Amino acid sequence: MAEHNIRIGFLGIAHLHSVSYAGNLLAMPGVEVVGMYEANEQLATEWAGRFDVQRLASAEELLAAGLDGVVICSENALHRPYVERAAGRVKAILCEKPIATTVADAQVMIDACRTADTRLQIAFPVRFAPSVVELKRQLDAGLLGEILTVNCTNHGSMPGGWFVNPDLAGGGAVLDHTVHVIDVLRWFWGAEVTEVYAEIGESLLHPGLGIDDAGLLSFTLSNGVYGTLDTSWSRPPSYTIWGDVKLEILGTHGVVYADTLQQYVTVASNAAGKTRWASYGSDMDGGLMADFVKMIRMRGEPSITGEDGLRAMAVALAAYESAKTGQPVKLSNL
Amino acid sequence: MPGIELVGYYDLLPEAAERAAQKYGGRVFGSLDDFFAAVDLVDICTPGTAHKENVLAAAAARKAIICEKPLARHLPDALEMVETCERVGVPLFPAQVVRFFPMYRKVKESIDAGAIGTPAVYRSARCGSFPRPGRDFSAPYYADFNQSGGVVLDVAVHDIDFARWCCGEVERVFTRGLTFAGKPFQDHALLTLRFTSGAIGHIEVSWSHPRGNFRTRVEVAGDAGLVEWDSLDRPPLLAELYDEQNGFQRLGSSPTSATDEPYYAELAHFVDVVEGRATPIVTARDGLEAVRVGLAAIESMRTGRPITMRDFGG
Repeated sequence: MAEHNIRIGFLGIAHLHSVSYAGNLLAMPGVEVVGMYEANEQLATEWAGRFDVQRLASAEELLAAGLDGVVICSENALHRPYVERAAGRVKAILCEKPIATTVADAQVMIDACRTADTRLQIAFPVRFAPSVVELKRQLDAGLLGEILTVNCTNHGSMPGGWFVNPDLAGGGAVLDHTVHVIDVLRWFWGAEVTEVYAEIGESLLHPGLGIDDAGLLSFTLSNGVYGTLDTSWSRPPSYTIWGDVKLEILGTHGVVYADTLQQYVTVASNAAGKTRWASYGSDMDGGLMADFVKMIRMRGEPSITGEDGLRAMAVALAAYESAKTGQPVKLSNL
Repeated sequence: MPGIELVGYYDLLPEAAERAAQKYGGRVFGSLDDFFAAVDLVDICTPGTAHKENVLAAAAARKAIICEKPLARHLPDALEMVETCERVGVPLFPAQVVRFFPMYRKVKESIDAGAIGTPAVYRSARCGSFPRPGRDFSAPYYADFNQSGGVVLDVAVHDIDFARWCCGEVERVFTRGLTFAGKPFQDHALLTLRFTSGAIGHIEVSWSHPRGNFRTRVEVAGDAGLVEWDSLDRPPLLAELYDEQNGFQRLGSSPTSATDEPYYAELAHFVDVVEGRATPIVTARDGLEAVRVGLAAIESMRTGRPITMRDFGG
C-alpha cells in the first residue's frame, strides 16, 4: 500500500527562507505543498505565483485544508499567534528562527504545542550543513583533545524590510544572528550558555537604521568553554557574498576552521558590477526539510525542539540586557 | 640601510652579544657607558621588565631610542619612560611593528582613502603556539606571566595598537581567556572592545594554536565598505613537494623586497624621523596606550568585568 502524501502548508512567508523551504518541499517525492497564507498582499501574490501554490484567504482556511504540517516563516513577532492557531490542528509545526521575540512568547508556544500534542520544530538549518555535521563527528571523535575556546562569526548583509522593524523583528543583527551559532554550539556539546557580555552597535554600519546592526557576544558555556560571536550585518552590498557562518574551535590538540559557505565558485560579471562567490555547497535547507518530513512520516520527535529555540533566543536577549547594563549577564536562572 | 652603521651590541650576557656580532658584524661593548659613547641611536631588545632602566640610561646619555614592545610590563614604568624622554627631549620609538607590515599598512591606507567609510566593526587575530623554554623560540621569560604579561601583553599590544590606529581611542575592554586558567603551556584571549567613536572591536590572541603555523588576520567593516586580509589565504608562492621520507608537503611564502620587509621599514622610518625627514607614524604615547589597554584587558580577564579605560591606571 502506498503511503499517503505528507501535506504541508505555509503560514506566513515574509522570511526569505520560505522560498528555499518551499523549493525543497516541492521537489520532494511524497510531499504536497497544499497551500499558503500570507497577510501581506504583495508578498503573497509574488510568492504564490512563483511556486504555483494555492493561496488561501485566511489562516483558518489553510488550517482547514487537512494538513499534516505547517511551516511558519512569518515576521518574528507573529510566530506566537500563528503557532497558537496551528497547535492541535496539525501534527507538526516547523517554525523559523528565532522562535519568538520574548521568553514568555516562546514558552507559551512550547506549552500550547505540548498540550495540543503537536510537534514543534525550530528551523536551524546550520545543523544540516555537511561541514557542520562532519565537524560534530570530528569533535565527538576527540580530534581536538580538550576543547578550550571558540571564535565564531555569523556575518550578514543588512536585510532591510521587516527585519529592521523592532515591532516585527524584536531585534536587529544580534537577535537575527546569535541563534544559529549558539544552537550548533549547544548541539555539539549538550552545553548551555551560562554568561554573556555584549557590545552592540545601533545604526553603526547603517546610519539612521534605527536598530542594532553590529554585535559582539562574549560568552561562557556550562562545559567550561568560552568564546565569542560576531553577529554584525557587516557585509556591504559590494561584497562577494551575503555573509558567513564560521566557527574556529581551538583544543589542546589543534584548531578547526569551519566555514560553512566556503564551497563556491568565483563569478566575475560585468552585469553585476562586481565579483561574487556562487555557492556549490549542499543545500542545508534541504536537510532540514527532509528531517521535518521524516519526523511527520515516522511520527517521531523533533530533532530541534522549541526548548532549543528558546535557549538560543534567550542568549540573544541576554546580550541586549548586557549591552544595556554594561555588565555580563548570567543565564543560570532561566 | 644607507647612511647607517651597525656599531655594536651591549648585553648583560656577553655571549649573546658575541653571537650577534658574529652573525651580523659590529663590536661587543663591555659597558653601557662605552656603548652609549659610540652610538647615536639605540635599539632596546630586552624583556619588557628591563626596558625602563635601559631607556632611562639611554635618555640620560641623550640617545635616540627604539624600544621593543610592550613598552614596559607595568604602567608606571612605561609612563616614567615616556615622560622622561619627553622631558629630556630624546625620541622614544615603540617598536609597534605591525604598523609597518605591508598588508596592515594597506588596510590603514584603504580606510584613510575613504574606501570603507567610517570604521564600525574591527576584527583581528594573532595566533601561534606557546613560547616554551628550550624550544626554537625560547627566551624563558615569555612563559613567566610576571615578566611577560602573557599572550595579552606580549601579543595583543600589536593588535590593540593597530586597532587604535584604525578606530581611535578605546573606551572599554572585556576579555575572556586562559591566562589565569591554570593550564600549563596554554595562553589565549578574546578581547571585546568599544571605541570612543562608538565602533566595536574583537581581537583574538593565542599561544595555544598548534606549532608550525602562525595565523594573523584583520578585517575592518565601515558604513560604506569592508577591508580584510587573512594569512590563510593562498600566498603568492606555493611549493608542493613530495618525498618518501616526509610525504606531501606544502610550503607557502610571501616574499617582499628588502625595503618593504616590516622590520626594515620600521627601523628606516625611525631613522628618517631622527634625521628630520619624516614625522613619526607611531609615538611613545601610542606604545604607552597599547600597554594601558593591554593591562586593562588582563584586569578584565582576572575580574570577569569590563574595564573602562578612563578610570584605569594600571
